[in-house]
Amino acid sequence: MSEAIVTARGLTKSYLSGDRHIAVLRGIDLDIAAGESVSIRGESGSGKSTLLNLLAGLDSPDAGTLAWGDDPVAAARRAQFLGMVFQSFYLIPEIDALANVLMASRIVRAPGEAERARAKELLASVGLAERAKHLPAQLSGGERQRVALARALMNAPKLILADEPTGNLDEHTGDAVIELLLGLCASTHTTLVLVTHNATHAAKTGRQLFLRDGLFS
Amino acid sequence: MPWYLYLALKQLFPSGRKFPFFTAISILGVALGVAVLIISTSVMGGFGHQIRLMTVDTQGDVQVRADGFINNPDEVQAQLARIPGIVATTPYAQGMVGVLHNSKAQYPGIQGIDPARIGRVVPLQRYLTPAGALSDLDDDSVILSVQLAGLLGAQLGDKVEVYSPLLIEKLKNDSVLLPRELRVVGIFEFGHQALDSTVVLVTLRTMQDLYGLGGAVHGINVKLEPGLDADEAAARINAALPPALHLHAVSWMDINHDFLFVLQFERNMLFFLLTFIIIVAAFSVTSSLLISVVRKTREIGLLGALGGQPWQVAACFCCQGFIIGAAGTLVGLGLGFGVLAIRDDIVHLFTRLTGSEAAMLRFYQFSHLPSYPDPAYISATIVCSIVISTLAGLLPAWRAARLQPVEALRNE
Ligand SMILES: Nc1ncnc2c1ncn2[C@@H]1O[C@H](COP(=O)(O)OP(=O)(O)OP(=O)(O)O)[C@@H](O)[C@H]1O
Ligand SMILES: [Mg+2]
Repeated sequence: MSEAIVTARGLTKSYLSGDRHIAVLRGIDLDIAAGESVSIRGESGSGKSTLLNLLAGLDSPDAGTLAWGDDPVAAARRAQFLGMVFQSFYLIPEIDALANVLMASRIVRAPGEAERARAKELLASVGLAERAKHLPAQLSGGERQRVALARALMNAPKLILADEPTGNLDEHTGDAVIELLLGLCASTHTTLVLVTHNATHAAKTGRQLFLRDGLFS
Repeated sequence: MPWYLYLALKQLFPSGRKFPFFTAISILGVALGVAVLIISTSVMGGFGHQIRLMTVDTQGDVQVRADGFINNPDEVQAQLARIPGIVATTPYAQGMVGVLHNSKAQYPGIQGIDPARIGRVVPLQRYLTPAGALSDLDDDSVILSVQLAGLLGAQLGDKVEVYSPLLIEKLKNDSVLLPRELRVVGIFEFGHQALDSTVVLVTLRTMQDLYGLGGAVHGINVKLEPGLDADEAAARINAALPPALHLHAVSWMDINHDFLFVLQFERNMLFFLLTFIIIVAAFSVTSSLLISVVRKTREIGLLGALGGQPWQVAACFCCQGFIIGAAGTLVGLGLGFGVLAIRDDIVHLFTRLTGSEAAMLRFYQFSHLPSYPDPAYISATIVCSIVISTLAGLLPAWRAARLQPVEALRNE
């Protein structure tokens, strides 16, 4: 058995809607090993994003435990432990593609030459070597998502959490981004959790999960 | 460079794009406030400086006075001459008199001066611009202030009658003393209302005569070596004079304490009021930054997801306030000193456009706007504008720090 990346036990989360508690997650158990790729599907509102935010440590569960590797979740570890990709690309509009990729490492420490070289390499690996100096506004949707991908990989995280990364892209572009995401994660031995509505994309991952009524089915 | 400072700079000055409107307007707002503060405190300081110079020019640096009279002025002056740092001394006596001319009467202050010595202590001749010469002053003549001359309708060469309080004393004893008839040999003008109030100057001998002082004087004006502090010098003189003489030296600052206080107070009030320009500019910075926080909600969420701490997100917006403040201060300093450099051209253009050149000269008595930039006020301006601008970033920063990444990212 290889190294554990995510270990979740009995995660529950409910939201207060008016005066009613809506139980979104009702006791999720999840073990993800290093190098795995896992897809999560489920109807809209089934709680996929909620789960991903819990796994990312951005939100805390009402009950249950969660560990990253062997240690509990801690906000201070997030930047180096995991990278995130979202449906919207969330690039910073004032800085160019390269600076956006570098931003991930900048938050950890001031980047040096090594980091700069790595960011350029990553841009090249997502096929945007020529666009390093372009601002987000000068890039297409697919290109922006590729920049976001490079940014998620910048700190060489153990885990990538992707929440519908193709949601804002056309089918063809979306396919290309998923291929790139799977390829990069495989080649760097990075663990991937991919939330998607697309069965074809899900089929390309090593393990397919389906979220329904707050539990995996 | 910490990432929040980097991002603050990039948000204000994005790479590869033209200067953003928000940044330009914000910096300009602060700059205008700073420039107005620099210009007005410097010009105000210029007037104050001129008044201080005039005060020293008319009173000397230090006055040595007795409890009553100084009966042996020559002896005291000889004592003073031995104290290092003293360049020259001149005795004076002062009082009130009645002056009559063409049946117009005025009751000015009178100063008895020693024409031979006064020139070394105060440059009186420099202020005799309207008419006359100090060297013409003898025991039968008088120098009038320009306002008094105007009120009396007296001109150079006219004779005026001078009545002293001694006449009243004599009247009580049933003896009659005729008024002194003195010839006007000079008219002086210091150019400031407070110093230019109605005064006449006569020789010390005439004054001693009018007041029955004999050889006594009221005090001795002292001129110090340039650059010496008048307060320190006064203290040194007090220590050097034998206590038996009952003399005390007072610096010109002490003598004019109230007047100098008012000058300083006026300037402080002006500074205080004009600081509000910067505060108003800061409010617009706050509102723009608040809008920016709302517009960037999702990016702020992302910064959190990337591992940014709330305090760092807050610092990003505080830094923007600080940068606007610093840049605005720099631009404002340039603008302020630029305007001060060409202030005379501006005044002349203004007076020519409004046709008020003559009035300006007559009422304000300057053909040249004084400016005296005081380092203390300049530093205060710099500190105020940077602190206020940084505070302007505080509310937006607090809003940004409160955003939960999850909520911010959900914000579609
Ligand atoms: N902050 C919140 N307050 C109230 N309800 C919430 C909140 N966040 C999520 N929910 C609710 O929790 C449920 C799950 O939301 P979530 O965003 O996880 O769904 P999802 O599976 O990602 O859906 P989609 O596929 O549309 O993205 C939804 O019913 C949603 O309304
Ligand atoms: Mg979702």
